[in-house]
Amino acid sequence: MKNIVIKSLFAFAILTSLFACEDTVDVKLENAEPLLVVDAFITNRSEPQVIKLMRTQPYFATELPPTLSGATVTVTDSEGRVYTFTETTPGNYTWTPAANETFGEVGLQYTLEIETNGETYEALADMSRVPEIDSLTFFFDPGDQFTSDFVLAEFWSTDPDESGDAYWIKTYKNGQLLNKPVDINLAYDAGFSRGSNFNGVPFIVPIRRAINSFDEDPNDDTKVLPPLVLGDSLYVEINSLSEDAFDFLTELKIQTDRPGGFGELFATPLANVSTNIKNTNPNGTKAVGFFNVAAVSGFGRKYKSTTEVKDFPK
Amino acid sequence: MFVLNHVWAQEKFTVNGYIKDATNGEALIGATVYVKSLNAGTVTNVYGFYSITLPAGNYTFDFTYVGYAKQVKPIDLTKNIRFDVNMEPEGEELQEIVISADKEETLVQSIEMSVNKLDIKTISKIPAFLGEVDVIRSLQQLPGVSTVGEGASGFNVRGGNVGQNLVLLDEATVYNSSHLLGFFSVFNPDAVKDTKLYKGAVPPQFGGRLASLLDVRMKDGNNQKYETNGGIGTIFSRLSFEGPIVKDKGSFIIAGRRSYADILARPFVQLLQDGGALNFYDLTAKANYNLNDKNKIYLSAYLGRDVFFFDKNQGFSWGNNTATLRYNKIFNDRLFANFSMIYSNYDYKLQFGEDERDFFRWNSAISNFTFKPSFSYFLNSNNEISFGAEVNYYDFEPANASGASNGDVIDISLPKKFNLETAIYIGNDQKVNDVFSLQYGLRYSRFDGFGRGTQYTLGEAPEPGKRKEILEERQFGRGQRMSTYDNFEPRFSIKAQVTPSSSIKASYNRMVQYLHLISNTVASNPLDVWTPTSNNIKPELGDQFTLGYFRTLGEKEDFEFSVEGYYRKTQNQIDYIDGADILINDFLEADLLSGEGRAYGLEFYLQKKTGRFTGWAAYTVGKTELKIDDINKGNWYPTRFDQRHNLKLTGFYEINKRWSASASFTFNTGTPTTFPTSRYIVQGVLVPHNNNESRNNVRLENYHRLDISFRLEGRKTKADGTPRKNTDYWVFGIYNLYGRRNQFSVNFSQKEGRYQPGQYIPSQANQLAIIGAPIPSISYNFNF
Repeated sequence: MKNIVIKSLFAFAILTSLFACEDTVDVKLENAEPLLVVDAFITNRSEPQVIKLMRTQPYFATELPPTLSGATVTVTDSEGRVYTFTETTPGNYTWTPAANETFGEVGLQYTLEIETNGETYEALADMSRVPEIDSLTFFFDPGDQFTSDFVLAEFWSTDPDESGDAYWIKTYKNGQLLNKPVDINLAYDAGFSRGSNFNGVPFIVPIRRAINSFDEDPNDDTKVLPPLVLGDSLYVEINSLSEDAFDFLTELKIQTDRPGGFGELFATPLANVSTNIKNTNPNGTKAVGFFNVAAVSGFGRKYKSTTEVKDFPK
Repeated sequence: MFVLNHVWAQEKFTVNGYIKDATNGEALIGATVYVKSLNAGTVTNVYGFYSITLPAGNYTFDFTYVGYAKQVKPIDLTKNIRFDVNMEPEGEELQEIVISADKEETLVQSIEMSVNKLDIKTISKIPAFLGEVDVIRSLQQLPGVSTVGEGASGFNVRGGNVGQNLVLLDEATVYNSSHLLGFFSVFNPDAVKDTKLYKGAVPPQFGGRLASLLDVRMKDGNNQKYETNGGIGTIFSRLSFEGPIVKDKGSFIIAGRRSYADILARPFVQLLQDGGALNFYDLTAKANYNLNDKNKIYLSAYLGRDVFFFDKNQGFSWGNNTATLRYNKIFNDRLFANFSMIYSNYDYKLQFGEDERDFFRWNSAISNFTFKPSFSYFLNSNNEISFGAEVNYYDFEPANASGASNGDVIDISLPKKFNLETAIYIGNDQKVNDVFSLQYGLRYSRFDGFGRGTQYTLGEAPEPGKRKEILEERQFGRGQRMSTYDNFEPRFSIKAQVTPSSSIKASYNRMVQYLHLISNTVASNPLDVWTPTSNNIKPELGDQFTLGYFRTLGEKEDFEFSVEGYYRKTQNQIDYIDGADILINDFLEADLLSGEGRAYGLEFYLQKKTGRFTGWAAYTVGKTELKIDDINKGNWYPTRFDQRHNLKLTGFYEINKRWSASASFTFNTGTPTTFPTSRYIVQGVLVPHNNNESRNNVRLENYHRLDISFRLEGRKTKADGTPRKNTDYWVFGIYNLYGRRNQFSVNFSQKEGRYQPGQYIPSQANQLAIIGAPIPSISYNFNF
């Protein structure tokens, strides 16, 4: 009897170590004609606003995406004001604000128009409101068997009353935007999705804390680096999104932040991410990408001392 | 007129009764009663009851059931006779493996087609994952049955999805038939007597799903003596206890299983000491009692649950509960009735958050209460009429959920849904002459949605493949009817007995499905949502045609061969818009698309039934496609369950009296999936894109796997030569013998790492193999 238990235990150990496995593979893909790519997330930050035009490339392409030069790019607001974006470097179309000027006004609708190679593309975006960030705090997260002890950050902001707001919370660590797919932090009102009814309350915990990004330890792939060490500075920025842009980024996150491993059992199959860029000729070449005009609010803080950290062990 | 008839008609009498195993009182399902001089016969029903009406006379009755000694009884039929039969099992060594339970009435003679029966003895010999005998994994060795891979819950029949199978355990619907994400099924083999899978030609007493019906019947329990069975395996242990309540009158069985990986691992894993859990368990119980010769009651129940908890407060769990109360009544010599009252429930729970200020808790459930009277009228030896009704009341709870953010608690529940599914049916099994037999019937089904509830009127999607707009909301009061659908479901089968050893059969049936399993993940999983037909979701309809040729070969009917073709056309099939949100979404219906489907194929089956080497080969060539307006540019596309070729070989070999070996091999064409053609970068993130907008445009690698197992019977005698009272056996097995890493899925992503704006981002494809190595196992099983 005891023998059986020992054998079972042994088998279980083998099992857990050998069970699932993930391998990088070469797969053969279909060929396809390239599409226009529009990366047009502009904000009311007082800095030059850039719209990037490119073309799609084969999935396993080993070079930078081909840029698209020579296009005419304008944005017109619902009051008739026209912003012209001029090509500064290949594929980058820029509008530079004058001193004390910012792009856009909350409540207005914006129309992007792109003319290239005889084709015209259009996209619409509403510029929505954004709540202020009240504070950034640090707390101590005691690790367990699998994780080390960490100092983590949390931002505090309250979604305004009345449902229908959508946000993208971006985090800059030491001036660098955290832009891995897993870092995409989205909120609809104060929760994850439409109809979740978190409205007019502080952003829910997983959103407040998703500003912490974990990277693998380059020296030991079973460990992760601490997201915050003394001297790091964090800047959190909320970007307002149109409803369509929220859907776009939600789909983009689902499609790009693959769980891998057993998580794939629960994963959504590959599907094309939507776009709001439309060719005015329905039979013309299609486009991918998105146009959004965001109002932004931000808050920064430097992690200077462990005394700033809630529950830090003495 | 009546008098005249009476005078002309030869007087007829009825013989009826139950056929049972003499050693334990288990009713034998599908045992054959045959009167050679008239070439007339019948088989026992699921309660072991038979009735046959013949002209007065002197007859020799043959009672046969495979694995049991044939009984030959002379009966002088001058009045109606009750004749119960107790069959003696043949010796263990002589027992052969058969799929079809009845030896005399082989598949060639039976009118049934598209049916596979597996008795538990056969199931227990198929090499099993981690040495554990499993009903559903065994079914996957049969023609027309497949799975998308390890880790997928349920099974697929003739290209249907998992939710298109009606799985019944003692008549109660089992909404999720899997433990541990499909590695094991919920049926405890110690408590299962008989399983029957209808892939087509479903008789009219059943309805509600398009693709198949899996009818699992529990053991009644030994009514002669107490018996304990059990097993200790790598993943879980089983124990069952059965015995008489009153000898010959009633018996019970209670059987339990629990996985114990977490208990064994607890000393080493802190997570488990902190309240984490990783286990499943189930309990199956049944009791029966003969009130008298003509009245019998049965009570069966099942309770099972899977638990995955990371700590005390966070994790998820799911499980089925069922209960069935049945009352068998023999009204008179020819009229047998059964009344069933059934309860079934499936629920899952998810919870996250460490304290009361910040949490998320969600549970979802479906439950139903059913009343099902059914009658068999044994008109004469050529006609058996069945009729009855079914009333199902459903209660759907899509989400009972709440969350808290920094102390603000918010209820995010969705309203419940209430439905009533009713049906009446009548059918007849008719033997026209020695060549032709017919089975025909009609089922009328109806589905009503009731308030309290909100009904949404949906408009057109702003563009193809997008979420539909909500035009109008309408509130309904409690009990107010919200929607009604009804359908006639004709069923028809014909058999032509070409020669005693060969027959041709054909069937047509219409099936209607009012409950839909909403699943938009790569494989079916426990969090899939059942949702009812409504004003926006139409009932799924399926029309299936089958044609088959059946033949036995060899002097002693050593081989059975069949080839069956099927064509199934379906309507109102469900698919999803890109980016569909199917969990806790009040407007779920706006994210669904609807279209038509078709599935067709040929199934070949060859079984060797006698000798030291037995086994079967099953090969299916088939195609399953959907056509939905906004998907794949409106062209037909293969479903995730489409497998062009599917081959299974299963063999058993008796090495000697104590050792036996078995092996099974599976090959199937890789399942379809969608791969990107292209990539683009937006906001510094690499996005895969299919510029051709094709769905399921490529296939994963072909799947193949070989499993083997060896069984060692314990000694039958003690050292001093006296027979042992206990019996036991060991099973040693290796699953995935040559360690193939079969692809479960391939996913596309940017390579891990941080990339500066403007920097090249490399793309990659990763395959997941759920089982990546040979998995050895050992189990010890006993009976005393």
